[in-house]
Amino acid sequence: MDATISFTLNGRTVTVRSDPSRTLLEVLRNDLGLTGTKQGCDLEGECGACTVLLDGVPVRSCLTPLGKVQGRSVLTVEGLGDPERLHPVQKAFADAGAVQCGYCTPGMIMGAAALLMRNPNPSRAEIVDALEGNLCRCTGYAKIVAAVELAAARMRGEAAEAAVSGEKVIGGDSVRVDVAERVTGRTRYVEDIPMPDALHMRVVRSPHFHARVVALNADKALQVPGVLRVLTAADIPGQNSIEGYSKDETVLVPVGGTVKMVGDAVALVVATTPEAAQAGAEAVEVDYAPLPVVLDPQEALSPNAVSIHADGNVLSTFAVAHGDADEALAASDVRVDTTYRTSYLEHATLEREAALGYIDEAGRITVVSGTHEPHWHRDFVAPVLGVEPSQVRVITPPTGGSFGKRQDPWLAAATALAVYHMRRPVRIAYTRRESFDASPKRHPYTCQYAVGATKDGELTGLRLRVTANTGAYDSGGYWIPNYAVVAGGGPYRWRGVDAFAQSVYTNGPKSGQMRGYGTPQSNFALECTLDELIQRLGDDPVEFRLRNAIRQHETTWLGYPVAESLGYRQVLEAIRPRYQALEASARAFNECERGSWRKGVGLAGMWYRFGKYGVPRVAAEAELGLDGRFVVYCSAPDYGQGIATVMVQLAAETLGVSRDAIRLVNADTATTLDSGVPGASRATYWVGGAVCRAVTSLREVVAEAASEMLDCPPSAVVLTDDRVMVQGDAARSVGLREVAAEMERLGQSRKVTGVFDLREQFPQHEREMYTPHFVTGAHVAEVLVNVATGQVRVTRVVAAHDVGRAINPRDAQGQIEGAVVMGLGAALLEEYVPGVTTGFSDYYIPTAKAMPEIEVILIEVPSYQGPFGAKGLGEAAMLPAAPAIVNAISRAIGARIREIPATPERVLMAMRQGGQR
Amino acid sequence: MTRYCLAASVEEALALLEEHGGEARIMAGGTDVMVDIRKGKIAPRCLVDITRIAELRQVTVEGEWVNVGAAVTFAEIRQHPFIAQNVHVLAEAARCVGALPIQTAATWAGNIVQAMPAADGALAAVALRAEARIVDATGAQWRPVESLFVRPGVSAVNPCRQIITHIRFRVPQGSWGSAWSRAGRRESLVLPTLNCGACLTLGADGAVQDAVIALGPVAPRPFRSRQAEAFLCGKVPDSATLAEAGRIAQGESNPRTSPTRASREYRLALIPAMVAQTLEAAADRAAKRASYPLPPR
Repeated sequence: MDATISFTLNGRTVTVRSDPSRTLLEVLRNDLGLTGTKQGCDLEGECGACTVLLDGVPVRSCLTPLGKVQGRSVLTVEGLGDPERLHPVQKAFADAGAVQCGYCTPGMIMGAAALLMRNPNPSRAEIVDALEGNLCRCTGYAKIVAAVELAAARMRGEAAEAAVSGEKVIGGDSVRVDVAERVTGRTRYVEDIPMPDALHMRVVRSPHFHARVVALNADKALQVPGVLRVLTAADIPGQNSIEGYSKDETVLVPVGGTVKMVGDAVALVVATTPEAAQAGAEAVEVDYAPLPVVLDPQEALSPNAVSIHADGNVLSTFAVAHGDADEALAASDVRVDTTYRTSYLEHATLEREAALGYIDEAGRITVVSGTHEPHWHRDFVAPVLGVEPSQVRVITPPTGGSFGKRQDPWLAAATALAVYHMRRPVRIAYTRRESFDASPKRHPYTCQYAVGATKDGELTGLRLRVTANTGAYDSGGYWIPNYAVVAGGGPYRWRGVDAFAQSVYTNGPKSGQMRGYGTPQSNFALECTLDELIQRLGDDPVEFRLRNAIRQHETTWLGYPVAESLGYRQVLEAIRPRYQALEASARAFNECERGSWRKGVGLAGMWYRFGKYGVPRVAAEAELGLDGRFVVYCSAPDYGQGIATVMVQLAAETLGVSRDAIRLVNADTATTLDSGVPGASRATYWVGGAVCRAVTSLREVVAEAASEMLDCPPSAVVLTDDRVMVQGDAARSVGLREVAAEMERLGQSRKVTGVFDLREQFPQHEREMYTPHFVTGAHVAEVLVNVATGQVRVTRVVAAHDVGRAINPRDAQGQIEGAVVMGLGAALLEEYVPGVTTGFSDYYIPTAKAMPEIEVILIEVPSYQGPFGAKGLGEAAMLPAAPAIVNAISRAIGARIREIPATPERVLMAMRQGGQR
Repeated sequence: MTRYCLAASVEEALALLEEHGGEARIMAGGTDVMVDIRKGKIAPRCLVDITRIAELRQVTVEGEWVNVGAAVTFAEIRQHPFIAQNVHVLAEAARCVGALPIQTAATWAGNIVQAMPAADGALAAVALRAEARIVDATGAQWRPVESLFVRPGVSAVNPCRQIITHIRFRVPQGSWGSAWSRAGRRESLVLPTLNCGACLTLGADGAVQDAVIALGPVAPRPFRSRQAEAFLCGKVPDSATLAEAGRIAQGESNPRTSPTRASREYRLALIPAMVAQTLEAAADRAAKRASYPLPPR
């Protein structure tokens, strides 16, 4: 029987009639419409996104039964403040740049607010202690901690509110658009969008690594009350594939087909409630005939191995030959041979995969879901339904992180399929367990290196063999071998290169796209191998890299020169003094210290190819609205990296107006132009370039129209936020609204297209995969290693990155800090083991406790072509972190770590075995 | 549909358990119970919430005895001034349970009843030789917490028939000190690779009069390294002695390999240093405590 529970919620008394054992989180979100509090795990208290205050004390609302709050007081993020009246903690989070995707933000804010209520002057350690149970994947925690310190100082009256700097738009510390909604829990992520009549969907998934689907019986499932439909491959009207994204993957494995991984999708169950959908999914009877399983890529390559796909177990390969590598290696004075290994990694975004599908007012099957480019998803969904792309609409909502996870169009296709059949709204949200089982992962690599140098420290030859484990399917990983090789040779001059990479199928989870797209793994192996070489030579890590760095304009070992300014020299020179100081301090520490801790300092560099291949042409639109406001239309999905804010800044700077004069329409296939192939940190450069072109064109037509009204030459007008003035004569002006009305009256188009077209600068090249855009960076990591236990603490990281031009320096910092901590996770903590790992309880992403002191050095070597000289950053920032940390550990313990994550156990074993492993 | 009762007294809670004939369950913070219900491990028809019972919400210090009510949360335990300053093994173990927003609900008694071999609260209770007051239809009795672990996940206390009301332990006069250590794959929000709680009493000559060393997970229950404890008695806790105690503790231990945490070999390798370092911290505190007056009765 329902209980009646009354409690105070955000200052008002509420009464709920419900099962009192339901979680407070579900009641808040589903019954009371307060969706600011988030669900990041499977109601097991693992992530902190659900934090609310119960009588002023932070609790996990996912573990709090409704019955417990009878007569007590609950405060959620919505109650703490609203966008018109922010609580100081909310304001500080906004001002300090502590909000990226925003999904962890409500929980963090509530935890911080509770801390400051009982301790108005917390130390950094106390802040970390209060928040170490709240996971964040974007920020690396640095600005979150800074925000709490800022809030505390302001609440004590010791710090003034930040003055809004009205002058610079680009390069100033620019608060993110929509941040007020994010810090007050008003932002609607997919699961927050209300659609009361929506049906609910669950996926029936294979429990086997490899099996034939012999039969499927939905009878019992259809008898479960609330279940309306069970969809199988037979119900797919178009093609049962997402080829073009993943060449070998079905949407639903048909009867008679084979499931190739645990979590492979076999059927979709649509029901009136999530519970019914779940019960229905459990009631679908699938008959599997297990097949031999192969999880190790080497085994998959052996002649007797079971064939996972028709064409054998190699998905794709890539090779580069430059000069004569064997001869170059033979001519070396010093040669180092290494094998490095990395693990499956999971993106672990705080927002689980979720989608909402419906038929829109124009009759289009519409999917609202996180994407990297909605047109991209639309183009894979339409063929599944057997319809034209124009009959499908994809909208990118506010998204709780991606890191490549949301590139996979499978979820959009499945949701669209359900809407196609049901003709009603359908929602789906993965469980965290399902996300871990079934969503794409980062490819594990085995990298075998042979590198050589002369005794003067000049690189000679490189021989590289990479085996990447692509799991059961392509999943957008077809080009991984190319990226593996490019990153595996680095921004260095080699006399001879013989590099080969292959992507191999196994029955592990499908490896797909994850931040860096196959480059962090081989960059890690390269930069650690180089460190071994440097140690053998007795050389200096910075000088060695400077000496061997690729020079601007010279043909690289890839066979072409880089297209954009490289910046590696500047990066290394900037980081050199920090490296030297930390290295000296570590040596002094180790000489004095008698206890179990040893300090180590390591350095690593990188280059990252940004921008992707394909036709180098992107378009965007700009418009003068009838309300006199400028509108920019582009497709640059913001899943936390801050690109929406960058687009607004670029437009404002180009027009010479303030940010508030710009409205952004972003990432909706019905209203924005296709940006082309997404990802690869390309948006600032490419989409930004298009936005700048579009607003420049708009400025011209507006100036033209206004100059007619003002009777002056078009070159003499100046734009402000709401008016157009004659230069030097402010009295002669006309409102932008009036200009718009006039243009409308004359039948002049108020909307223009801008095209960023670099086809002439970068003509199609005969060489495969010609993409000559690179950014560079280098990190120095300082670690403490406990030689008795193998425990590693990363105490400090200095991260220098050439960004071309920092459009939003604080957000650039935030991206780098987040990337450093993600790299730390890969280096020390994270390991997805198929069949073993289930979720946050056994996949260890860094908590606030792991956060090192991070110093960011932004180098600005302007690009030749990018808007205001900008380049790309989001992924590149991750590459040097893991090798810098591992190099630091290796130097601290005097033994090489050749496998990550370098868990305490692996570090201890490396010490015990000593020397090379 | 589950019934939810906010018991106002221990008697009422007992009556509810009786009324449901084994299908009701005692719940305090709920941080374990809610997960177990969700996972289908348990399906109680009634949850008896004991967190409103005033007598269960106190921490009292009377003479040498510290008495912690069963509804006191780990957050309250670690913040309690006497415990924070004097009972480091418990204060620090409380800090390790999940994270703060879990500690604000989770309780020591609940942690003990969950009966996991490396449960931080359970281990600290064993190190303190704590006793639990168990009330059921037959009456009330104090039992050593160490005796309450049947096997992993199974407690001698039946939360559908019995209630732990209090947990008490002695903080002896004189040179007594305690310490806690923990190793894990990361520093927060993680089940332990190895944890250790130790309590030492030193005599006037500086030699160990009494030692308790609790280790987990090195056995199906929170484990007492009795051989190491016996070895220490009568000896001055210098580095060599503590190192030897650590080695003895290693010899008595039998950890398993856990694929997501650590191998048996690594756990064994950690034991000597962890035990030695925990004992050293406890000994330091014991030595310092001799010079401070005891809290008033």
